[in-house]
Parts: sequence; C-alpha cells; structure tokens
Amino acid sequence: MNWKLRPAYLATVVAVVIAIAACGGTAAPASKGTLTIAGFKFSEGSVLAQLYGQALIHDGYTVNFKLNLGTREVVGPAIKTGQVDLYIGYAATDLEYYNQAAGEASGDVTATTAKLNSRLQPLGLQALTPSSAQDQNGFAMTQANITKYKVTKLSDLTPIGNQLVLGAGPECQTRVFCQIGLEKTYGIKFKAFKALDTDGPLTRAALKNNDIQVGLVFTSDADLQSLGLVALEDDKHLQNADNVVPIVRTKVASAEVTKVLNAVSAGLTTADLIQLNAKVQIDHQDADAAVKAYLQAHNYFS
Amino acid sequence: MPVDPWINWDWLSTHVHLFLAALQEHVTLTLIAVGVALAISLPLGVIAHRWHALRNPVLTVFGIFYTIPSIALFSLLVPYTGLGTLTAEIGLVGYAVLILVRNVVVGLEAVPADILDAANGMGYRPMVRLLRVELPLALPSIFAGIRIATVTTIGLVTITAVIGMGGLGELILEGLVNNFHTPLVVATVLSVVLALVADLTLAATQRLSLPWARTA
Amino acid sequence: MSTLANVLRWFLDPVHWSGSDGIPTRLVQHIQLSAECVLIGALIALPIGILLGHYGRFGNLAINVSNVGRAVPSFGILVIAFQIFGLGDLPIIISLTALAIPPMVTNSYVALREVDADIKEAARGMGYREFAQVLRVELPLAVPLIMAGVRTSAVQVVATATLAALIAGGGLGRYVIDGLDQQDYTKLFAGAILVALLALATELALAALERVLVPRGIRLLRAPKAQRATTFKVA
Repeated sequence: MNWKLRPAYLATVVAVVIAIAACGGTAAPASKGTLTIAGFKFSEGSVLAQLYGQALIHDGYTVNFKLNLGTREVVGPAIKTGQVDLYIGYAATDLEYYNQAAGEASGDVTATTAKLNSRLQPLGLQALTPSSAQDQNGFAMTQANITKYKVTKLSDLTPIGNQLVLGAGPECQTRVFCQIGLEKTYGIKFKAFKALDTDGPLTRAALKNNDIQVGLVFTSDADLQSLGLVALEDDKHLQNADNVVPIVRTKVASAEVTKVLNAVSAGLTTADLIQLNAKVQIDHQDADAAVKAYLQAHNYFS
Repeated sequence: MPVDPWINWDWLSTHVHLFLAALQEHVTLTLIAVGVALAISLPLGVIAHRWHALRNPVLTVFGIFYTIPSIALFSLLVPYTGLGTLTAEIGLVGYAVLILVRNVVVGLEAVPADILDAANGMGYRPMVRLLRVELPLALPSIFAGIRIATVTTIGLVTITAVIGMGGLGELILEGLVNNFHTPLVVATVLSVVLALVADLTLAATQRLSLPWARTA
Repeated sequence: MSTLANVLRWFLDPVHWSGSDGIPTRLVQHIQLSAECVLIGALIALPIGILLGHYGRFGNLAINVSNVGRAVPSFGILVIAFQIFGLGDLPIIISLTALAIPPMVTNSYVALREVDADIKEAARGMGYREFAQVLRVELPLAVPLIMAGVRTSAVQVVATATLAALIAGGGLGRYVIDGLDQQDYTKLFAGAILVALLALATELALAALERVLVPRGIRLLRAPKAQRATTFKVA
C-alpha cells in the first residue's frame, strides 16, 4: 500500500459519490413557470395528473408530479398549504369534502361546480371548467355472488346487508358517497367493513377471495369485465355529478394555465377516460406515454 | 390480460431513466441523512461520554425513538414540516443518530485507560486529547456505525414514498397501485444492491483510512 | 398541546376499546403476528447460527447475512409477497419471518464463537460428546448474546408489522395507515404510541426471559453489557 496515494483513493471515492448525487441536473430551457401536480393513489389518479400535466409541459411549463400521494384527505391539505398547486378532482365528491359533508352536491354539474367554487374561494383555490367525463363510485360484486344473492341494483342489498362485508379504502367509512351514503340512502348496514385500498389491487384480490362481497370500484375502470366484476346499478342516485375538474391554486391559475387545462377538460369524454384507463390498467402502458398519444391524436399538440 | 412476468425486460430497457432518477434521489436523501446525523452524533456522543450522567438518558431517549415505526413518524411530521425532503430527513436523521451516537460513545469508552493516562502525562489538554487521541482510536467503532446507519437509511428511504418522497420507494408504490411486477421487483433489488455497494465502499474506505485497525 | 389532549381523549373513549377495530383486537392481532414470525424465525435461525458458531464454519456468511438483511427494504418485500401470495396473513408472515432471521443468525453465531476455547476443551476433556457439549456447556454461556439477537428481531418485527397494514393486514398498523388515509392524526399518533409501547414491552419481556434462561452462576460471572438491541431497523 503506497501511503502517499491513500488520500487520493479517499478523495476519489468521495468525489464519485458526490458526483452520483449531483449529476442529472441538466440545464432546462427557459420555462413559463413551475407547477406541482398531485395525483390520487389509484391508477386513474396518475392518468389524470399526467393528462393535464403533459399538456402543460407541452405548453412550456415545468411540471413536478407527486403521484400516488394519497386520498383527497391527504391531497386537500397539501393544496391548501401550497405544497401542490393543482390536482384533478371530481366535482361532487370534492364539494362534499370541502363543505364537510353538508350534502350540497347534486346531479347538476354546473350547480355543483358553482357551489364548489364558493367553498374553494376562501381557501385561495378554484375549480376550473368541469369536463363532461365522469367517474363515480361504483359498488361491485363478483358475478358468482350476484347470481348467488340474486341482485342487480344497490337497493337489492338492503335486506341482505348484514350478510355482506364491504371493502374499500379507509376513507370510505367517512365519505358521503361511500359507506355513509349506502347506509343513509339505501339503508344498507354491512356486516363489516374491511379497509383495503381505493379501487386498487387489494380490493380486487379481496373480491376474488370472497373476503369481501361488495367492493368499491370506479365507474370508469376498464378492467372490471375481464375480472368478472359487475358494478351494481345506483338506482337511488346516491352518486352525483362527479365530473372531472381541475382544482388549482388561484395564485398559479394564470390565463394561460387556465386555457390549457380547460382545453383538455373540454375534449375529454368518459369513453376517452375509460380507454386511457384500459391502456394503463390492462396493457401496463405508462400513464405519460398513454396520455401523450391521446393528446397527440386529438391535436392538442398541434 | 397479458401475462405479467416478474421482470419485463422490454419495459425495463425503455425505462432505465426512471430507475436512474429514483436512484439519484435515493442516494441524495441517504447522503444528507447520514451526513447530518454524523455532524450531530459526534458532538452528542462526546458530550454523553464526557458527562457520565448523560450517557444512559441520551441512549435511552433515542432508543425509545427507535421503536416508533418510521411510517408513523414521517406521517406525523407532515402537518408540521410538509410533504418534502425536510420531513423525510428529520425522520431519517433521527434514526441514524441513534445508531451513530451509540457507536461514538462505545468507541470512546473502548479507548484504553493507559493511553489516556499517557496522553495526559504528555501534556495534552482535554480538547486536543479528544481530537488527536480519543476520536482517532474510536474511529473503527464510528465507522462501523456509519456503515450500519447508511444501510439502514437506504432501507428507510423506501418508506418515505408514503409521504410522496422516496426514490426507489416510489417505484415500489407504483408497482403496488398498478399491480405491476417489474418496477416493484427491480426497485427492491436495486435498493438491496445500493445498500450492499454502499456497505462495501464504506468498508473499503475504512480499511484505507484506518490501516492500524485492520482486525475485523 | 391540543394534539396530546386529543390523543388522550382517544384512548379514554370506550368506543376504541371494543369491536373489530378496537385496541384489544388490534393488539392481539399484532402480538399474534409478531410472535408467530419471531418463533418461526427463531426455529430456523437459531439452529443454523448455533451450529455454524459451534463448528466455526461459514463465519463470513453468518455475519454478513445481517448486513444483507438490513439492506432489504421491508416495504418492497411485503408488496412482492402480496403479489405472489395474495391477501391474508401468509405474505405478511413470510416477509416478517424473512426479516427476523438475519439478526438471530448473526448473534447466535457470534455467541457460540465467543465461548472460551479453554472451556470447550475442558468440556471435551471431561467426556462431553458433541451434542451434550453444545447443549450443556456452550449454550448456557451463549444465551445472553443469543437473546440479544432474538430481542433485536422481535422489536423490529413489531415495528415492521405496522407496514403490514399497507397490504390489508391487521394489527396496530391499521391505526397508522387508516389514520394517514383519513388524515385522522389523533388515530395515527395513538397507533404510533401503541406500537412503540408494544416494542418496549417486547424488549422488557424478552430481557426478563433472558434472566430466567441464564443460569445464576453465569449471570454473576458476566458483567451485564448494556445490550439494547437496536442496530437493526428496517421499518
């Protein structure tokens, strides 16, 4: 061991380590501004965040993504404290979150969004123009159970609720359009509630194992049929106008940003959303690749 | 549904950049945590060693901190320090400090009494004695602590994905949410490899810088 | 501080002490899970570590298995286990047992290695055969360090079992994960406190067990090292 070289070895090791940590920061071209977009912790959350985010990136903004951040209960405080600037919400559910479950949402998307904005304004937030694309809570059962219990719609569950276990994300227990609504509107009192995930693989596995008989899914999910799951009809209209709508901090909602976001909302339909979900949920395409292809095909990038 | 292999090499070859970015974030978080923890643990360890009354209380307090599951700690910090590097680092530094403080204290305690006597006899003042005699002799133990702290931190960084940070943990979370095997498996393997490489590098660095202590 | 007041109120609320999400139920689930994993892990790890230590073979492996164990991200392992085994206790038990094994292997290996060579020779000379020597001479001397390994494992399994809630597991982790998802910080804090208390209780219980297992003579012989088993944290 040549002692004179020892400091050199040490210096090399340290330099390499620092280089690994520091490298990767290439100079970005001048951008119009930076926004942080949050995505909910389910695959459609990433799809929607990427959809609007890629549109902004193409328009010259720098976008930081915070995907799989959590439920609205997590994302709400994050945007209120300015740690994220934007998330893509659903009009009726967001309204019932910001009004502490006051029951103001309805099937009328314009009225719902207006009420939502009145709740958001004191928080320095605003909801942009809602899209026609909708995604509501759905309650699914396996085909086998549907045959066994002979049900087609949610009100069929009322007499047999105490034989069934409901599975969803933990937040379902406190949500107006979830367990609370099923009890109030349909009178369904479940035997038990199992905390799983929000429309994710845990819920699907539990349905398959019959650990739960009723599971929360989303009406825009693309993989239900292939999994043998059927969402029951919401015959008493518990769900409301859950139209896709960007919720943004007023400070960053410049005319340009608003224009880009509204353009995406205007063109998005429920069928588009289901198709995007299919690409991501079934084909395992990346959300950003799938949405870029969509934006390209629909001439947002012209 | 298409078959989902444990590692889809096609997908992997087109997504290397994702893993590089995650690795970079992972390494950065770890370096900051261990660096800050070392900066805190050295003085703290010296103080706990110097004032015997503090030794057990300090080690006990951090020992209790250690039993708090990291996911709970990170989550509890969020309302105060937000969703970002600071929250992750506070938790990571905390856990690393316990490991390091313990090793600093144990290392200092292992310095033979006759050497301290000799140093005193030679006229070293306490501060100089600390810097020139005690700490160098405690280095093997401190280095061992740095190795353990680094490997531990690399593992804990994956959990910060739950609060929106997380380097490789983010890819693990994605694998879970999207029911997709490849990012999950590759990120887990990379995390282990990163930790082992770090451990070996530190071991080699230790051998290079402490030629007199080549026992274990 | 109002947060602490809220947490105290949470603990005093009788609603939280009954039912399938009550503290007793969750506590029992957590203890059961942790105990199963540590026991199974010990059944696998201790014989391996003891044998390797007795014969002095594969020392590097035995010592480095702890390094590798520390390097494995518990979060990743749990999710992979879920994707392989589906829901339920099996993936959780497999993951936690795997994480519990390394510290016990390393500590029992080192424990057996540290038995004085002179003592082993004396035993040989007195006519002890292999198995009896291990059982009656080496093990009693090795128990403190072996138990340190078991304590390390047990405390970490208790903490890591919290993550099991991420793959629909039960136990005290449910308070932490549900609290996070619902942004119910009182529940989250309460869950964290409960896990920490359980971990401490585990450490104390196993320390007491060690006192029972170590023969009085050996306990007097060895100065008790402040062996807080804490250098293995994976969750």
